[in-house]
Amino acid sequence: MHLDMYRNIVDGGELRAIERLAAHLKGRSFVHVNSTATGGGVAELLQRMVPLIKGLDIDIKWKVIEGNHKFFDVTKNMHNTLQGKGRPFTKQMWDVYEETNRKNAEKLDLEGDCIFIHDPQPAALIESRKGGGIWIWRCHIDISTPDRISWYFLKKFVDMYDASIFSVASFAQHLKNTQFMVPPSIDPLSDKNMDLEKSYIDGVMERFAIPRDKPILLQVSRFDPWKDPIGVIEAYRMVKRYKDCRLILAGGTAADDPEGERMLEKVRTAASGDPDIHILLLPPSSHKEINALQRAADVVIQKSLREGFGLVVAEALWKGRPVIGSAVGGIPLQIIDGVNGFLVHSIEGTAYRIRQTLHNPKMADRLGAAGREHIKKNFLITRHIRDYLAMWVSMENTTSKNIIYL
Amino acid sequence: MMAKSFIFYECIPLVKLTGRRASDIIDFLEILKRISQESIFHHLHQYFLKPCVHSVYHTSDFAVWVAEWLEEKGLAERLANINPYAYTSIDDLRWEIIHIIEDYLKEYPPPRPVLPGGEFFFNEGATIVIPSGFEARDLKGFIHCLERVNRSSIYFHFFEARLRLEKEGDDFTEWLSTSMGRDDISDKIRGLDPYMFDLDELRSIIIEILKGKL
Repeated sequence: MHLDMYRNIVDGGELRAIERLAAHLKGRSFVHVNSTATGGGVAELLQRMVPLIKGLDIDIKWKVIEGNHKFFDVTKNMHNTLQGKGRPFTKQMWDVYEETNRKNAEKLDLEGDCIFIHDPQPAALIESRKGGGIWIWRCHIDISTPDRISWYFLKKFVDMYDASIFSVASFAQHLKNTQFMVPPSIDPLSDKNMDLEKSYIDGVMERFAIPRDKPILLQVSRFDPWKDPIGVIEAYRMVKRYKDCRLILAGGTAADDPEGERMLEKVRTAASGDPDIHILLLPPSSHKEINALQRAADVVIQKSLREGFGLVVAEALWKGRPVIGSAVGGIPLQIIDGVNGFLVHSIEGTAYRIRQTLHNPKMADRLGAAGREHIKKNFLITRHIRDYLAMWVSMENTTSKNIIYL
Repeated sequence: MMAKSFIFYECIPLVKLTGRRASDIIDFLEILKRISQESIFHHLHQYFLKPCVHSVYHTSDFAVWVAEWLEEKGLAERLANINPYAYTSIDDLRWEIIHIIEDYLKEYPPPRPVLPGGEFFFNEGATIVIPSGFEARDLKGFIHCLERVNRSSIYFHFFEARLRLEKEGDDFTEWLSTSMGRDDISDKIRGLDPYMFDLDELRSIIIEILKGKL
């Protein structure tokens, strides 16, 4: 994988910027740490980003922390409480969290010039910081209204970092360090987003036994209460009274998400008896299948109640699909209401916009074309790499000025 | 003597978050009085570098928030009508905005606070400037480069330059006048109303002016 592969896709200026920054940082070491090697947006992004940055002669390493089921149950609850809902946090839970982080810090080599720690799970690794290097906490989740107690404990660690990155401005907190906004991105050349032959798409639909006899609504997401799959089923039922259609709920559960199984059962119960609802439990490697499902869909839905960013929205927009998404987290950055999709605030709103889009294919095409252009300009992996490298350079800048000449 | 060449720079905009947020117009006004100059610069001058320009009618983050979240269209129009390009001092611009809001609040009751999630978040910009590799020695070359540079170059030389140089004007017209001796082109570019266009539109208009004067 090399940056040259993107030359016909993105603006030349974006690649020039990356090359210039990379030349400045040549040979330096860049360490990324997260909590899972597969499943979930962070792992997917790192799988693509790490080889590209390596190709720029930057010594990049990706490390994954290890933890038992108890640790991931605690971090899942932490994730929920930081997003505003979850079980009360106990001292025992914090002990499990800190102890697991301490054990990982002993095992992992965290020396480097710039160290990115992704999300709350490994945030406490900062306690074991030894040498120099810039430590940056990269937060991918929505912490705009966190449970105060959980945030109070986590903030103790976050304040120890040199900088923090949030995906959306509303996630900013009162912190002792510099806070940046860097939205995430998708890779147009990955299995999940690359162009596909029609025959491949047809084959996937056949394999999943989904007839193409009526319009297809699709939500791709983990089976997680925050993604509101039950709300999607309700919206689909409202639409179906006016326009016959099928609904696909496709997703998986990540290694660090023990709650997923419970939610999946609830969804199956809600959908039981309706042959037009297709629930697909996909393994983490199903990128090409998800790509095909998104391309086969007539309307893509992302009805999240909370959202870190909602990269599936960018994926669907990139494929020229009309997208209806909740106005939460990073979704309003991706959907410009009425221009490249619709922003909604309720189950009724979701149903109404689906009906409107299904009844007006010309409008759907216009939304889709605008969506692809918007993602091309703002949410592709090259822009993301550029921002990370620029941030690193900016953090090493010793003057207080906000303008740096390279 | 050889004329000085024009080196095109491009820039990488980074957004820094201050953590300050306003949920109603009174909060907004109070924060605006004390927030850094960098934040005001960011929300007005760096508006066009943002991922999504919401509305062609409102050319600053402030006006967009007032229109879309406070739903105070009359105030949004007054804020949109400010021409940031006419100011070389950020503090003058800050006080102009404050006066407009205060005058409006003398006429109308304050609007209701926004719903959660609709607050105004005060940010700042940090810019990394890099040479683009494009360099022009004459008008033809200048057009050639202008057609190819990233749109951030238009921002840097046109909008950002004004505050860097602390005088009216921009890098393009400065070079066209002093190195090319083409005041006729500079005057025409200076006569533009740049906040009415996005960066790609502005690029096309400048190229059109230049081609007409070749």
